[in-house]
Parts: sequence; C-alpha cells; structure tokens
Amino acid sequence: MSRRIYFSLGLLSASMIAFQLVLMQLISAVQWSYFAYMVISIALLGYGASGTLLAMIRSWIEKHGNKLLSPLMTISGLAMLGILWFSSVIFKRFDTYLIFVDTTHIVYLIIVCVSFFMPFFLGALAIGIIYINYVSRIGFLYFADLFGSGVGGIVLLALLWVCFPSQLPAVIAMLPLIAGMLIVPKKWFRILVFPSLILLLIPVYLVCVPIQLPVSEFKSISKTLNLPESEIYLERKSPYGHIQLVRSPVLRYAPGLSLSFEGEVPVVDMLFCNGNWVGPIIGLSQFDTTHFLDFTTHAMSYRISTPENVLILEGGTALFAGYALWKGSGNIVLVEENKEITDLLKNELASQSDSLLVHPYVRAVNLHARHFLLTDTNQYDLIILPEIESFGGTSGVNALKEQYVFTTDALADCWERLSGNGMIEVTAWLDYPARNPLRILASLVEMLEEKGVTSIESHLVALRSWGTISFLLKKTPFTQEEVFALHEFCSQMYFDAVLLPHTQVNDIEVFNHLEDTTFASSVRQIISAQREEFYAAYDFNIRPVRDMRPYFSQFLKLNRLHKLRDTLGNTNLPFFEVGYFIVLLTFIVVVVIAIVLIVLPLFFIRWQGHGKLFTLLYFSGIGIGFMFVEVVLIQQFILYFGHPVFAASAVLIALLLSSGIGSLRSSVLIKSYGQLWKLLSLIFLIVLLYAIILMPLLRITISLSFVWKILFSIVLIFPLAFFMGMPFPIGLRLLSEHNKVMIPWAWGINGCFSVISTVLAAIIAVEAGYFWVMLAACIAYSLAVAAVLIGRLVRV
Amino acid sequence: MKWLSILLGTLIVSSPLYAQNFDQKRAAMVQNQLRQRGIVQTNVLEAFQKVERHLFVPAAYTSMAYSDGPLPIGYGQTISQPYIVAYMTQLVNPKPNGKVLEIGTGSGYQAAILAEIVEKVYTIEIIPELGKSATDRLKELGYQNIEVITADGYHGLEEQAPFDAIVVTAAAEHIPPSLIQQLKEGGKMIIPVGSPFLVQTLMLVEKKAKKVTTKSLMPVRFVPFTRSQEK
Repeated sequence: MSRRIYFSLGLLSASMIAFQLVLMQLISAVQWSYFAYMVISIALLGYGASGTLLAMIRSWIEKHGNKLLSPLMTISGLAMLGILWFSSVIFKRFDTYLIFVDTTHIVYLIIVCVSFFMPFFLGALAIGIIYINYVSRIGFLYFADLFGSGVGGIVLLALLWVCFPSQLPAVIAMLPLIAGMLIVPKKWFRILVFPSLILLLIPVYLVCVPIQLPVSEFKSISKTLNLPESEIYLERKSPYGHIQLVRSPVLRYAPGLSLSFEGEVPVVDMLFCNGNWVGPIIGLSQFDTTHFLDFTTHAMSYRISTPENVLILEGGTALFAGYALWKGSGNIVLVEENKEITDLLKNELASQSDSLLVHPYVRAVNLHARHFLLTDTNQYDLIILPEIESFGGTSGVNALKEQYVFTTDALADCWERLSGNGMIEVTAWLDYPARNPLRILASLVEMLEEKGVTSIESHLVALRSWGTISFLLKKTPFTQEEVFALHEFCSQMYFDAVLLPHTQVNDIEVFNHLEDTTFASSVRQIISAQREEFYAAYDFNIRPVRDMRPYFSQFLKLNRLHKLRDTLGNTNLPFFEVGYFIVLLTFIVVVVIAIVLIVLPLFFIRWQGHGKLFTLLYFSGIGIGFMFVEVVLIQQFILYFGHPVFAASAVLIALLLSSGIGSLRSSVLIKSYGQLWKLLSLIFLIVLLYAIILMPLLRITISLSFVWKILFSIVLIFPLAFFMGMPFPIGLRLLSEHNKVMIPWAWGINGCFSVISTVLAAIIAVEAGYFWVMLAACIAYSLAVAAVLIGRLVRV
Repeated sequence: MKWLSILLGTLIVSSPLYAQNFDQKRAAMVQNQLRQRGIVQTNVLEAFQKVERHLFVPAAYTSMAYSDGPLPIGYGQTISQPYIVAYMTQLVNPKPNGKVLEIGTGSGYQAAILAEIVEKVYTIEIIPELGKSATDRLKELGYQNIEVITADGYHGLEEQAPFDAIVVTAAAEHIPPSLIQQLKEGGKMIIPVGSPFLVQTLMLVEKKAKKVTTKSLMPVRFVPFTRSQEK
C-alpha cells in the first residue's frame, strides 16, 4: 500500500487538473467562455467542500477513511463521465446566452455548477483523506500530488494532438478508475479486479463513441452552419484548439467595405477555432484589377506608398498578407501563433489560398506577436496590427484577454522596427460609447511622445468609415502629396477624415455621422496637452495599457459605476462591459460559498479553542501566495518563449515539480518551528525580488537560444518554487503533531483560497497589473509569517 | 396524450379571457415601451397595437411575448425587442404607398408591422425553415401585401427595386453593394449592429443626390441610451 498510495494520489491529481483544463475548453467551445470560467471556478470549490465535510466527520474518517479511498476515486472517475452525459442532456435546454432573456436559464446555470462540482468534490475528498490518514508521510504525498498535477497538464497537452476534445474526458476518467484499482487491499483485489476492468470499458467505449455536447445555437459556428448548403469540410485537432473549416455558397467577408464599392465580394470559406470565428480563406486569383480591401480604411497606407517590407502581426488566415502581396510588396512576414492555421494554409488549403504562405515573398512565423517584436531586429516599411474588436462591438467580453500587441511598449517596439519612411497601421471597429478607438489613439499618442515626437498631427492620421476607424502612424511627417492623396481617398470612399491635416471642422463628419457628438472632441482632447484631464473625466478607462497590465479591452472604472448607472440605468449597465462584470460576479459567488465552507466546520469543531485563527491565516496565506506567483510566472514566460500553450505547460511542470522536490526535502531542511518563519520570510523576499527583477531579466535574455532560455527558466523558477513547496506539508505535519483536529479544516481552507486567489489574481492584474499581483503574493506570505510568529503554530 | 394537450392549448389560446390578456399586455407595451420612449409616429404605434406579437414567438415564450427584450426563435435567430422594431420602423419613415424590402424575415413580425403601414413588403429569409414558418404564419394571419422569399438576401431583389426603404435585420461586417444600389433616391436603410442580447446600435443609411451617407445612432437596449452633455 505504501508505494501504491503515491502512484494512486499522483494519478488522481493528474486527472483532476486535466479534467479541469479539458472542461474549460469543452464548455468554452459550446457555450459562452465567460460562463465556462464561472462554472469551473465554482466547481473547483469542491476542494474546499471536501475539507468542510472531512472536518465534520474527522473521527470517523480517521477510523474508516482508508476503506473509502478506492470507492471514492472510482466514483470520481465515473462522475466525470456522468456529468458529461448530464451536460449533453441539459445543454439541449440551457444556453448561457439566454440568461439575459429568460430567468429559467439561471436555474439551469446553478444546476450545471452543482453537477460539475461533484467529480472535483469526490476526488478532493479522497486526497483529503490520504492527507489526514497518512500525514506522517506528507512530504512524499504532497510531492506526488504536485508531480501528478504537473504531469496531468503535460499529458493533456499531448492528448490534444491525438484526440478530439470530446474524447478527452473519457480518457481522463480512466485515471481515477486506475488510481482506485491500485489501492484496493490485496485481499479484495482478486474479487474486484474483474468488475474494475468492466468499469474501465465504459470510458474506453466513450473514447470510441464520445459524448458530444450540443453547441449553443448562438455560437458563430452554429449560425454559419444554419446557412443553406453549409458544411464542415475540414477538421483539425491540436492544443491550439479544434479547428473547423466551413464552406457555404453564401459566405462572404469584406470588413467595413466602403459604400461606394459596386463590385462583387467573393464567396469564401470560413475558419473557426473552438466554435469561434477566425477568418476567411481567400485566394489572390479571385481578384483582377480591384481588391475589395482597396475599398476599406485598411487601404490608406497603400494609397500613399508601395511598402516593400511588410510585417503583419496576428495574421490569422493571411487576409492582409495576401493583400500586401497583391499590392506588390516583396517581403512579407506574417506572425501567427496558431501553427495549425498556418500549416493548413501551407498544405491542405494551399490551392484555395493560391499557395500564399509558400510564396517566396511571404514568410510565416509561429510566435506570439509580442515575443516577435521583442526579438526581431528587421526593419519594415509597414507594420499592420490586428483589427481591434469586431463588428458591432463585443460589450467587453474580451476584458480579461491579455492583448500585448496593443500595449504602449509593443507600439514602441513597432516604432523601433520601422524603416525611414515606415508606417504602422491599426484599425478598430467603432463602439458606442467610444472606447477601443480612443484607447488605441491614446496609446499611439503617448508612444509618440515617449519617442520624443512633438508634432503628433504631422505623424498620425485617422480615417473613419461607417464602421471602422484606421490609424496610420508614420515615422517621418506626412508630406503634402500624401495628405492630399488621403483626402481624395476619403471623398472617393465616403470616409471621413478624423485626423488629417487641412481638414476643416465642418468636414469631420461629411459621410458618416455620429449621434454621439462627443467623439470628435474626444479625439482632439487626446492629442492635446489636456489628455490627463480627459482621461479622468471620461466615464470609461481609456488610458493606454502596458506590458505589465495588458488588458486593452477592459474599460470599466469601478469608481465610476455610480455615474454609469445614472447614465445607463441599473439594468443596462452590465451589458456594456459584461465580461468584467461576470468575473466580478464569479469572485463574489466564490467568496460567499468559500466563507460558508470555511465557517461551517467551526460549528462541529467548536468555536472555542486555540489554533483557528493561525490555521486560517497560515493556510490561506500560503494558498493565495502560491497561486498568485503561478499566475504571474505563466504570463511572463509566455512572452519569454513566444508559444503560449507550451510556455504555460512548461512553467506549470517546472513550478509543480520544483515545489514537489521542495516538499520532499521539507522535513530534512526545516526541523524546528523556529525555522518556519525564516522559510516564509525567505519566500517573501524572493517573491519581492522577483516582482522587481523578473521582467527585466526576461527581457535581457529573451534573445538567447531556446536551450539556454530553458536552462535560465529552470534556474529562475527552481529556487522560488522549491521553497514555496515546503510550507504546506510542514504546516500539516505541525498540525498533526499538536492539533490534529485542524488538518481537514486546513485542507479545506487551502482549497477554497486556491480558487479565490485565481479569480482575485485576474482582478488585481486588470486593475493594477502583474507587479501588484506579485506584491499581493508577498502580503499573502507575510500573513503566514504573522501566523507563525504570533500564533506559535506548534502549540495550537 | 399529445392530442389532448393540443386541444387544451387550442382551447386556452382561443378563449376570450386569454385574448383579452394579450390585448392588455400589447396596449401596455405600446404605452410603456414605445410611446414613453419617444415612438411618436401614429402609424407605427397603431401597427404595434394591431399586430399580435404573441403569435410570432415560439410557444415556450408566448407568455413573454410582450416583455421588454428579444426572444429566441430558433436557428440562432431572435425576434427583436419591441422597442428596436419600433425605432427601426420609425427611422425609415414608411409611407402608405411605399415599397419596403426586409433582409432577414425571422419570425415575420417586422414584416407584419411594416405591412400594416406600407403598400408592399418583400422579405427575404436565408434559413429555409424560418422562411417556411414565417410564410405560413403571415398567410394564416391574412397578410396579402407581404411576399416572403426564401433565398440569400445578399443580392437584394433586383426585379422589384428600387425600394423606398430597406430593413436589414441580420447585419454583417459589410453592407452588400447591391442593397445600396436597390435603394431609391431619398430612400433609407436601417441596420441593427451588435448583439441582440447585449448592446445594439442602429445605423441609418441614406441615399441622397447619388451620395450615400450613414448615421450611427446611440446604443439601444431597454431604454434609449443618452450620454450626458457635459463632456
């Protein structure tokens, strides 16, 4: 049993993390991703709830708990399959989009949350029992837990190459079933081995015939498939997502097309990733003398020049790369982190895209766009940034999406990459009240000022169509000829000159009028010296964002909610910035449930007595601190390596493995209570140091070769994670020696605060940036120091 | 059992009390959701008073037919919030002798409202199932001046062009050039922009002296959105 328990625990932990990650992907693909975030966050409180239950029945668990381990693991695996089947039934009736319309769907949402809670609760119950009943071996157990979690993440990543997401829950559900079989007592083994193998056949069958979750009819892929003769004719699976190519005779794409266009917009195929629209597949042979993009604000740079070297960031399905090639550019670099998309364009879709990405003038680079800007040294005549938001606005659903490519730091790097007469082009869809266009304008203006450019208006022009606004920033001032060419472009295309020399006040809205008459004056104020006053007065936060706080699409000012409520009305307010509101709502719900889960056991272990405050402070402090550091490390290393999926996995495994080793060594290195506060103080200092030096260090070494960067990352992560892996097992060991009754409660507290801290880290990052998340981690560890110093944990 | 529930449902729907209830709800909708929010054109208000919205929504949502929001009608489509339909109708300023093209029939409610005001309504629906149900519904309700065409509305309806007004209920990221061409000189096109469940704005396209201009209106949801004038 002794060794088998470690394997069993590791397998169970691997399944828990893998199941969590795959659920997130599955629900995001079929429903609205923000609700997936909410559902999973609440479901993970199953960890906290397990601690609550264990605290209430601790004596019984100490006597009989071991008998429950194998059944609990088995049921946990079956519950994974059960809730998937249940979801396939309930998602036929429940749609997160309809929560805004029909209150019945709120009830369904609660049912979904409760059902997803079950496998995590059952699994965590088994882990908690192991910690309680084998606490003397806590160092090894915690190592197995962390190591299993890390491996679970990596295994899932590998599985995403070979399995469709719908097959994965069944694959993952095998792990707890095997974990349960591993710890069946020998005397029962012969009797149970056959039924266990039969049980294993259930997930095996479901891998072959996976349970499909119905896709919401309001997802973009569902709407597209409703069109006549639509069909998915190509599918790919990978960690980059589930890619589907849809063909229909009625699909066309021409973003923000001028109303003066009289030609034919070609029928195209559309690419989707996880049910969300990605872009069209367009070949160049469809265009003779006119390209429809000539009739959009995107064309302004080509109206005044023929750029030879073009860089396209987040190039997607290569629409703008094709356009650049069509306009005669001779060296085009397309940066797109989703390798699956560029591989498709190079291979299966090569004929459809007229072999665009294998053209000798075009080079596709599979890297994170911000990473590319940090490492590239070439000069470009034109840099095209991705379109900001989408047609009709997104009501803030991207509030929590890191958009490094639009930070002032990224724009400054773009500026450095420009050739003598080089230009940066960025287009935003108009939204009301204006947010995206104003923030990108502010970002461009502030970047120019940081670069010492004083005459903003001679370097920056902006044209507006009925739906888009394009900004063109030039390294040298625009010439008279260029300005006149752009004026002519406007009158031909029915565009309005928002920022363009020789534009009279009456000419700002000639073709496209806005009922919101404040837009033009907002633009003027941003380029003026009174910018700060305007930022402060505007109802939404439109200040530029930086790399340490890259939330470009988060505009909500929490201190202005009352004013917005007065203007928009109570009912309407959340709909303007719905993404961030859902995160705030998730935080409130999670905190309320966590408080109940933490307080509940106190009725059973009695309010009186010593050690409660210290247990609460210590285990909440180390739980929050660990998660905050993990969130920041993953974000920073994504930029460092340029491959988000792999960087996140590599950091996760390095962090968890190093912490696991720390856990193993904890009993050897920390032998007395007096050393514990020193350990926590050391962690506090390292986290503080990393808050200051991590980002500069990563920037300095970003150009190293991949192998050196891996080594450097290990050198950076190991010491921090090694020490961070010690406090939890040491804390449990000390409790076991002096206050055993507190162990399950400590497990529950740790579980609850791990969930709270994940959501809280997102809120702090949005409101203040990653530096403050690290400082918050320091504060959390200082809570643990305080708990040890004041409370004398050993005597509690 | 099935026939029993159908019989019961038919009895309830056809009962005078039931109809009276909807009449009251409809009157309240016109008063509270439309008139009080600035819908002033008499012909528009009369059309909303007359057209029975509860007959255009799925059975599961009949009780919510006169509520102040959009409702799903299947295939990822919605019947718009009453105020949006009214606001769009008022903006195109329909005249009794007018000819209107609608792109995106959906439930047929917008077409029915327009048909109460203008001489002829052509409405195009791309999803065959919705086109069929709207045709049946409008026929059953006796609308002689509505022609439902199940087709891709991208190219409009050249043989019946030009139109005094075009109402596009399913907006895309570009406005089809053929629709602009089929708009009569002095005609108006209205397009809702954004998510029906979150925030929608309306865009008015006008064709005057061979020049096309647009006007982006304030976001509309449950009440007209008004920005403070202090800035």
